[in-house]
Amino acid sequence: MSAAGPRADVIDEHVAALSAALHGPARAKSRLIGEIRDGLMDTAAAHAADGVPRQRAARLAVREFGTVDDLVPSCQRELTIAQARHTARTVALTSPFLVACWYLAGSIDQGQAWQLPRTAQLVAVHLAGVATFAALFAAVALAATGTLARRLPTPRGLPLVVAWAGTTASGAMAGAALALVTAAALATDWPLLVCAGALAAASHAAVAASARACRHCARLPVT
Amino acid sequence: MKADVVRGHLDGLLLAVLEEGPLHGYAIIAAVQRRSGGVLELRTGTIYPALNRLERLGLLSSSWQSVGERRRRCYALTDAGRHTLAGERTAWSEFTAAIGSVLNPAVNPAVPPPGLAP
Repeated sequence: MSAAGPRADVIDEHVAALSAALHGPARAKSRLIGEIRDGLMDTAAAHAADGVPRQRAARLAVREFGTVDDLVPSCQRELTIAQARHTARTVALTSPFLVACWYLAGSIDQGQAWQLPRTAQLVAVHLAGVATFAALFAAVALAATGTLARRLPTPRGLPLVVAWAGTTASGAMAGAALALVTAAALATDWPLLVCAGALAAASHAAVAASARACRHCARLPVT
Repeated sequence: MKADVVRGHLDGLLLAVLEEGPLHGYAIIAAVQRRSGGVLELRTGTIYPALNRLERLGLLSSSWQSVGERRRRCYALTDAGRHTLAGERTAWSEFTAAIGSVLNPAVNPAVPPPGLAP
């Protein structure tokens, strides 16, 4: 075993335990964990430079940084907000596509001998409305967790609300994908409708995954 | 000073040590401990999520820089961060003056409230 072995083991075990306890967007989590690991290594190196044996220096560094239970609440709060922002950004970026898809379907509808059934048209309007509302709410959530949070405290329940807004938007996108593919089967200009349906399905997949992760994060205890 | 008390002032402490220039995580921890003479009881690991939060609020910016042989994420105050730091200092001065007036009335005689003046 190298001289640095015990130090790395103690710190790596601590970082691994912390990493296992935290949930959030991979990039944000990796950055936070990486910075904490660097800080632990620096702290241990500073103690070792003062003449403390390496293994004891590592244990001192871990003690000064705090136990996993000490660190998880504040780290998880940031990761939960990062996940909520990720979900809100995904909803805000993909929902306009859904509205565009319906606009496309409507414009094709105008020039065809066939027409979308009245019920389908009403469903389309409602799904587009849901997507527009979700996109607007997502934009507000992004502002509320960004620079606006300097002046206004971020509501504790906001990540959960964002998660359910994302879930609702993803449901609207799934419905839109199904309706567009069904309409494509009836239309002569079907390739455009199939493309629009595929776009709606891709949006649904992206938003649903992010919203599911956000629901999970929002249920975890934070400070 | 107890950890709970320190946590309430963590934002101000972090902004203050970054006033002189960009620092990476451990250098920020070392600066806080050096300036406080090691009196502050603080779980130093909690500094990292706090730095993330201050960056999200636009009070800090961060960039990768080479420090020694390694690359580190270094944090710097933004203009909004300097403005917030000035506000934190004013609020702290007012708070300590008010508490000092109560704890040491002989040293810091308070202005008597209206109706109680001789």
